[in-house]
Amino acid sequence: MELDSGRRLTEIDLLKAYITDLNCIVALPAAWSGGTALQILGTSLDVLRDMLHLDFIYARLKDPTGLEPLEMARVAPSGDPAAQAGRIAAVLRECLGEFPRDWPARSLRRIGDDDISIVTLQLGLQGEVGVLAAGSRRSDFPGQTERLLLSVAANQVMVGLQDAGRLTEHKRIATELDRRVAQRTAELSASNDELRKEIAERRRVEERLRVEERRAKRSEALLADAQRVSSTGSFLWHVTSGEVTFSDQTYRIYGFARDSAITLDMVANRIHPDDGPRMHEMVARARGQAADLDLEYRLQMSDGSVKHLRLVARASLDHGGELVYAGAIQDVTERERAEEALRAARAEVARVARVTALGALTASIAHEVNQPLSGIITNAGTCLRMLAADPPNLDGARETARRTIRDGNRAADVITRLRAMFTRRHVETEALNVNEVAREVVALSADELQRRRVVLTLALDPDLPSINGDRVQLQQVIMNLLLNASDAMSTVEDGPRTLTMGTGHDDDGIRLFVQDCGVGLDPRDADKLFDAFYTTKNGGMGIGLSVSRAIVERHRGRLWATPNDGPGATFAFSIPRESEAAAAEGLGAPLVPDSTGIPRPV
Amino acid sequence: MMPFPALVSVVDDDESVRESLPDLLKEFGFASQAFSSASEFLASGYVAHTRCLILDVAMPGMSGVELQRELVRRKWAIPIVFITAGDDESVRPRLISEGAVECLFKPFSETALLDALNAALGIP
Repeated sequence: MELDSGRRLTEIDLLKAYITDLNCIVALPAAWSGGTALQILGTSLDVLRDMLHLDFIYARLKDPTGLEPLEMARVAPSGDPAAQAGRIAAVLRECLGEFPRDWPARSLRRIGDDDISIVTLQLGLQGEVGVLAAGSRRSDFPGQTERLLLSVAANQVMVGLQDAGRLTEHKRIATELDRRVAQRTAELSASNDELRKEIAERRRVEERLRVEERRAKRSEALLADAQRVSSTGSFLWHVTSGEVTFSDQTYRIYGFARDSAITLDMVANRIHPDDGPRMHEMVARARGQAADLDLEYRLQMSDGSVKHLRLVARASLDHGGELVYAGAIQDVTERERAEEALRAARAEVARVARVTALGALTASIAHEVNQPLSGIITNAGTCLRMLAADPPNLDGARETARRTIRDGNRAADVITRLRAMFTRRHVETEALNVNEVAREVVALSADELQRRRVVLTLALDPDLPSINGDRVQLQQVIMNLLLNASDAMSTVEDGPRTLTMGTGHDDDGIRLFVQDCGVGLDPRDADKLFDAFYTTKNGGMGIGLSVSRAIVERHRGRLWATPNDGPGATFAFSIPRESEAAAAEGLGAPLVPDSTGIPRPV
Repeated sequence: MMPFPALVSVVDDDESVRESLPDLLKEFGFASQAFSSASEFLASGYVAHTRCLILDVAMPGMSGVELQRELVRRKWAIPIVFITAGDDESVRPRLISEGAVECLFKPFSETALLDALNAALGIP
């Protein structure tokens, strides 16, 4: 709508221009579609300024968030390019009033040297959105079509701004939503990660548990196999609670049902009656104080068979400070049988060797003695015949008598040589506590006594005075009494083989006794007991007691035997307290057999 | 008593036997010679004349049993009375089963010796 003074525009041209401008303004939203308020305003102001040849156009938008209002202005290209929005606003306020909402719709003002026609359009019903002000020096401004174009443009701008606002709000909301969603997502993702980690960790733990469980099961299986193969079971005994735990193999060894609860009474009922007292004593001792256990005993199974077991256990304190025994039980029945057979074989070999040796010794002694005896008898017979002859052959008789004497001496020499075999040149005497000697013997013979299933009780006099004597010889005596006593009980099968060894003293000296519950003494045998070569035992030589008595007598003591009131017998010896010199004198003499065959000091 | 006393030879490594036994045999009325070993007896000229041999079982060198077998091998059928200082009764039946007349265990009595000699010489 160009105003050219030199040319008259026809009505049709005007209308065409108007339609074109209107189309242009209506098309504005397409140009700023999706743009910000600033872009909408900028585009609109540019279009309006150029379309209407305005000297200026100013827009002010209230910020919906209540912050600084948005101001924008455009001036004609010929105008002062320095005229910024702030300056234009100041001028407008000066001439139209302080509040844009109160600015008049049309006004004519003198600004600088020019009269300016100003059109104000309130955006929104009450101008709540903002204000648009357009000014031109043309006197015909605004024409009818220009007012229409301005108001349509203002409408468009307002709608556009509202759309933009909504868009912004949508965007803001969407952004906020996105942010929140993102935040929530991040939170969820974080917690998800945590969860995943937890799950992964749990899986790892479970896997580890499974592996350990498998390993435990495997080693449990291995242990069970090992226990079965080695016939060894294990057990745990909690002393205070009396709780006993068995391994599978121990259940098998004892012949208990796999799931039965174990009590000490059940275990005690399985113990072989002969081993009962010994086990009872062991349990009492183990209860009293922590001690490592190592013992062999037997089980009497319900089918009547007997099992030999070896038990090894270690005492320890659990975390509650209670005494606990953990140990292994091995079924040594087979080994025991093999050893029994071996022992029997050895005993037989030893017996045969003894008999053979004795036979050889006897043959040797017989040969040595029979030769001179034969000479004596022959010569004596010859001598008698010579004397009986008529006339008597005195020279021959004298010669044969001489030979008889010579052979007699020869026989005596044989006896002297035998004596030498019994002679001991070195005898050690020392101050001895017989309790100590007895304990040494018990230590030496513990295995043998256990093998013979003998329960030994010691009753040692704590105030036993010392005596002078030969430690080794007295050990022999005590060992002999102990083994004799356990031999005497070897046929006792219906009860415990109990043996008591004790000591005592009075003013005269000390005594030691060994009391058994065996076959006892036949009073008819009492006199012969201590004779050499007298024995009631199958494998014995009958030497033990006679040598023992000889040793005791060398200590100026006495060895005797008495039947018990109940079953069995008691063997005892006494040794007087005497001067060291007297003892040494008595012990220093060689031990040789006297006329009764008992070795005695000479 | 026989007009010509029968020769009873004694083979024993024990000197007291060699001293005492011939004297007793002579008191019994026999002639007697003593030898300390089997080889000494075999080497002597008395084997053919010996009517009875009193022989120790155990001797150094050739034992009494070996001498008995050697005599059988040489076809010298001399009745033998063994004497021994040992006490193994089981040797007696073994020796008798091999042809010995008797086996006496030292010390033996005069009667036992005389009975054995009479049996050896076939004197009732």
